[in-house]
Amino acid sequence: MPKYVIGIDLGTTNCALAYAEAPADPREPASVTLESIPQLVNPGEVRDESLLASFLYIAGATDFPAGSLSLPWPSDEHMVVGELARKRGVESARRLVSSAKSWLSHSGVDRTSAILPPTAPEGVEKISPLEAARRYLDHLRQAWDSKHPDAPFADQQVLVTVPASFDAVARELTQRAAEEAGYKSVILLEEPQAAFYAWIERHADWRDRVRIGDLILVVDIGGGTTDFTLIAVTEREGELQLERVAVGEHILLGGDNIDLALARHIESQLAAKGTKLDSLQLHALWQQCRAAKEQLLSEDAQKAEHPVTILGKGTGLVGGTIKAKLRREDIDRILLDGFFPTASSSDMPARRRAGLAELGLPYAADAAITRHLARFLRQQASTAEHGTVRRGASGLAAPTHILFNGGVLRAPIVRDRIIDVLNSWLAAEGLPAVQPLFGEDLMHAVARGAAYYGTARQGRGVRIRGGVPRTYYIGIESAMPAVPGMPAPMKALVVAPFGMEEGTGVRIENQEFGLYVGEPAEFRFLLSATRKNDKAGDLIDDPGEDIEELALMEVTLTGNQGEMAPVSLESLVTETGQLQLWCVARDGRRWKLEFNVREQAV
Amino acid sequence: MSRIVLAFRSFFSILFRDTLPEEVAKAYGYSKAGAVKAKAVAATPMAPEVKTSDGALQMLGILQRDGRLVDLLMEDISGAQDEQIGAAFRSVQEQCRDSLEKYFRLSPVIDGVEGSYTKIESSDPAVVKLLGNVPASGKAQGGLLRHKGWRAERVDLPKIVPSQKPDVIAPAEIEIE
Repeated sequence: MPKYVIGIDLGTTNCALAYAEAPADPREPASVTLESIPQLVNPGEVRDESLLASFLYIAGATDFPAGSLSLPWPSDEHMVVGELARKRGVESARRLVSSAKSWLSHSGVDRTSAILPPTAPEGVEKISPLEAARRYLDHLRQAWDSKHPDAPFADQQVLVTVPASFDAVARELTQRAAEEAGYKSVILLEEPQAAFYAWIERHADWRDRVRIGDLILVVDIGGGTTDFTLIAVTEREGELQLERVAVGEHILLGGDNIDLALARHIESQLAAKGTKLDSLQLHALWQQCRAAKEQLLSEDAQKAEHPVTILGKGTGLVGGTIKAKLRREDIDRILLDGFFPTASSSDMPARRRAGLAELGLPYAADAAITRHLARFLRQQASTAEHGTVRRGASGLAAPTHILFNGGVLRAPIVRDRIIDVLNSWLAAEGLPAVQPLFGEDLMHAVARGAAYYGTARQGRGVRIRGGVPRTYYIGIESAMPAVPGMPAPMKALVVAPFGMEEGTGVRIENQEFGLYVGEPAEFRFLLSATRKNDKAGDLIDDPGEDIEELALMEVTLTGNQGEMAPVSLESLVTETGQLQLWCVARDGRRWKLEFNVREQAV
Repeated sequence: MSRIVLAFRSFFSILFRDTLPEEVAKAYGYSKAGAVKAKAVAATPMAPEVKTSDGALQMLGILQRDGRLVDLLMEDISGAQDEQIGAAFRSVQEQCRDSLEKYFRLSPVIDGVEGSYTKIESSDPAVVKLLGNVPASGKAQGGLLRHKGWRAERVDLPKIVPSQKPDVIAPAEIEIE
């Protein structure tokens, strides 16, 4: 019996860890505590910080003085994790692994092969996105064990959060990273849900604040990613119930983009005056702009400008100092026009047009978060039939409440703009304005909420019902005469419908495959974020743009050589939220389909 | 033996033979028996080979690393514009203060209002310094608080790793193109 429930926010730029005591009395409210995380902050200096910087630096022999990378626990000393990695990475960027989580969810690369950092010089040992995630999770486990010697991590109930937009492969990789990091019983939870749990944890009277039929929009803007989720308030057997009814696409756009845009703005001002910055100075400027932005945008800020200073490079500090000012009106303009422009609910984000792109992370082509939000709410109109989604006259999903999460949304100006834009859409549908739900501590809410959910699973508190946030398909080639140069048309068979719940399974009876035993058979695996009314076993003749190819799935049937076994497919969502696909023979034999992350989806 | 000679002999002896020269060890009280005993007690491989006086250099190093304080103090600023100095100082001050707050907890010795009458509660001249018309007895009931004083309530400096060379306050930086 675990003593604690531990919630881990495995973030793109920061990780956090919170815990609650496992419930003894199911009626008592859970009280969640944040745990600080010891990490190297300077060579030879380990300090407790409230967040673990999600950066990994692959140190060479000459990077740090010998013996200055020891941690309070045995560690691989040349793989530095945390604040020191982030700091040193500024000076020596080609050895720095950053945004590993975004790489983990990037289906265009082999996420188990050593590809990070992508710019590492020849001869530097690279690591895979999976391995980077494993190292962050391992650091968090060791940190816990160093602080709680009487309650070993491996004995506790652990929840790790993932973006709601993570597909089944990214979720499985996260789970695998956790298992390889020595996590015994790990459950995955979606971040926006965790943020909502954190709100519930802080508001014991939440049942009085929402009503049946309400729709809660969770907007989560972190350092590197933006995520939208809709949660509906429904009723079952007279009890209020929460149901996660929609999840947006994974958008690689966040606070770092905003800070960089501000830095570029100052850089161009300086360039106009004839001052050129090198890459280190630009990075210093980036950090300064982040600090200046936080100063100018905080709740009680009165100032109209904040100085931005880049100190001289060498020992000539005063003489070489470059100074500039970040003006409040410039921030407002860049932030509001660039990232949160007013838009109508039918505006859609611009699509990437370039035919060739640098091989890297698929960053969002359009920086306008409000247009991404418009698309998300509009998508719910077209095909979504799942659950009870409150809609306007035009079919636009119409939230009654909005909950913010993530560092960017600490700025009132950003929250106000999102609310204003959303309200203008609601007004056009003839609906009343949205009500903001105030969360606290937006940097740690996800970890807190995860710990709370852990106690809710054990019978205390409320659970959000959600299930699979996508519809999943297996691609089937049509049986047609081969035409040279033309791939056979593909049909898509629904194997796991949207919203399929944890702990349930579906057997697709009407479609059998003849599989030869003893050799690997491959399936194409597809998904859709928007087709929510497809039922298990449906065959989609002409999959359009709303169905994306995700990965290959592979199965090797053991059995008599040369035998062909007729199998049908079965999908299963485990209690921990993992989607599994199985081949089931007529005689009841079963084989699991494994994601083949080594092959790239085309 | 001059201290410089001793220092050099110790340095090279430790570097190449992993031990102190015997006469140095004797002169400074680092006998072999003591060293063995210390090893047996402390299980960590990093027995501190650094002197406590290195703390001063460490502090300079920290203020330079976090706030570039040594650069600022050592620079000839006679020809610089006040505006330029102000901009640089603002940044150095902010970062040095953050650094001080991280490694120390500083508080006033007397938490009063400067310029107001304050009772004297300590006769220790290291804690309260009396100025002006101090009576012959050196004792007084109270007076105007000129300066609240500073006290370090807590010091939380990191351990010095032997390989870090405390005498190097800031390493030279070379950018490879």
